[in-house]
Amino acid sequence: MTVTRVPANLYTAVQRRRNRGLTGLYLVVAAFLVVYAILFPGLFTIGGFSKFTQNWFPLALVTMAQALMMLNGGISLAIGPLVSLGAVIAAVTMGGPLGVLGGLLAVSAAGLFIGAATGGIVAYLRLPAIIVTLAGSFIITGIALLLLPRPGGYIPDWFSDLLAGHTPVAFGLLVLFLIGWKVYLATPLGIGIYAAGNNPVGAYRSGVPVERVKVFAFALSGLLAALAGLFVAAQTGSGDPVIGTPFTLNSIAGAVLGGVAFLGGRGTMRGVICGSLLLSVMINVMFFLGFPPVAQYVAQGLIIVGAVAVPQLTSQWRAKP
Amino acid sequence: MNAIKAALRNPPLLTLILVVLVWIIAGLTLRGFGAYGHLRYLLELSAVIGIVAAGQTLVILMGGIDLSVGAIITVTAILLPLISPEADPTGLVGIVLTLGIATGIGLLNGAGAAYLKVPPIIMTLAMATFLQGMLVIIAGGSAVSVTNAAVIWLGQARPFEVPAGVLLWVVVSIVMLIIIHRMPVGARFLALGANPLAARLSGVSVGRNTLLVFALSGFFAGLAGILILGMNRQGYVGIGAPYLLTSIAAVVLGGTSILGGRGTYAGTIPGAILLVTTTALITVVNASPGWRSIMFGSLILGLLLISGREARR
Repeated sequence: MTVTRVPANLYTAVQRRRNRGLTGLYLVVAAFLVVYAILFPGLFTIGGFSKFTQNWFPLALVTMAQALMMLNGGISLAIGPLVSLGAVIAAVTMGGPLGVLGGLLAVSAAGLFIGAATGGIVAYLRLPAIIVTLAGSFIITGIALLLLPRPGGYIPDWFSDLLAGHTPVAFGLLVLFLIGWKVYLATPLGIGIYAAGNNPVGAYRSGVPVERVKVFAFALSGLLAALAGLFVAAQTGSGDPVIGTPFTLNSIAGAVLGGVAFLGGRGTMRGVICGSLLLSVMINVMFFLGFPPVAQYVAQGLIIVGAVAVPQLTSQWRAKP
Repeated sequence: MNAIKAALRNPPLLTLILVVLVWIIAGLTLRGFGAYGHLRYLLELSAVIGIVAAGQTLVILMGGIDLSVGAIITVTAILLPLISPEADPTGLVGIVLTLGIATGIGLLNGAGAAYLKVPPIIMTLAMATFLQGMLVIIAGGSAVSVTNAAVIWLGQARPFEVPAGVLLWVVVSIVMLIIIHRMPVGARFLALGANPLAARLSGVSVGRNTLLVFALSGFFAGLAGILILGMNRQGYVGIGAPYLLTSIAAVVLGGTSILGGRGTYAGTIPGAILLVTTTALITVVNASPGWRSIMFGSLILGLLLISGREARR
């Protein structure tokens, strides 16, 4: 009797192949972390580590949100407004009768709903994601402005202390999110993201519910962005209807640095996490080296081009001889 | 019936009909909307978006997207007053220099996309981020006033009761339509947008055309920047930011496919006017900023459903 033999090390082989393109990124991140640790030895205390991960956490979440969209073959221009909306909803509802739990639920529901609605429009009405999210960014910004025309609102102090105090709670949450992503990837809807992003027609013919996969991925993306807003609100202690604006570009930058391909279906969450970590560490290092804050933009522009161009060029040179 | 069907299948015409309908209805119901002065003002604002969207149309037709047009506008609006030489009373030297810089930035975008193989969306995004930082370092955060005579003329003069900016837009439109529909280079752009591989195998140079298209986009963004500066008389960091998304919206509203290969500048023209009219009407309604933003987004989404659908799988 012959049994289809699955090599015992299939899992490690697949993982190794996925990591191959990321070696350069890992090295760069490690180098930046070493520089940062030398400049700021306080990184190894609990407090320093907590602060560092708290600055990184919202960026990591929005980068994951953007990566979900890009794995689908789209791109979202509405990440920043969603972060703002999350922050605003948190600041408006947490002072209400339902308290923190109510606020958490309201933020999650808003993120899921807006994401799913965007996904539904993209998947079923066949409009490109980039222009749907472009129109959506105006609508979402408008809702945030209606809820809270100027910065304010209320976040309970204990909640701010819990998330953004002197304990690495944010880092723990990030680990939980990553485990959640691994679990989601083990479901048909999760693995379908890669299939549908890489080759929608092929995936459709192989029985992947392409439309449903899209709607779920968009909904999760919305959830992550809104939760990032919740965290930002907890960090600042209030809501601000435009606080999320820079996150749109940063999320794209982080995802691209992390090796997510623009045409969909290629990229890994570990790369994405490293990409966002690189951005975050880079900003910190430049701050400690005394660069003016805007120099960060110059460096970011150069690094993004470099991160995409260098692997392209090296693979070309390797292919030539 | 057949005429209606033909119109529905022709997005530029559809957008034009929408504009005419909106103008007629608004002109009949809103006092002051149909006045010549107001319509002229709308066209003046449309001209700016139309000129930015000219470059954007070319890039999108070729299957790319230019996210750096807003930054290029800001760069030209801030650099022009700084680099216009005092010795030149006409101000034309400053304009030529600034347009040269804008075109150069576009060329860099094109070089990145063509030779470094960075996807246009990332390349232009990185360029926008880079320029944003450079501007603050070079020019500081303060606003600069313009004294350049030619720029002020462009922004303020009204030969034959028509604003100079609108005349400039007419010229740009004619040039654009000739490039896209009457010149081989336009056919090459469309071919590259429709199927890059087939175009390359048919002998179309991807590198050269990519460079050209991004250089043109930089040039048109620079031209729009100069026009905005003339109308505003002041340049400041962030002056170009609103024009990035509106330029993309104008192109898409005009029925040009965001995936490239299909579309025309003839659609972008009514697209730009429609966008400005929509904004003007929303302002008239006198709602809070939040509601205005919601209405604007919903209207774009609604219009997209009419003209922006992609083909069925």
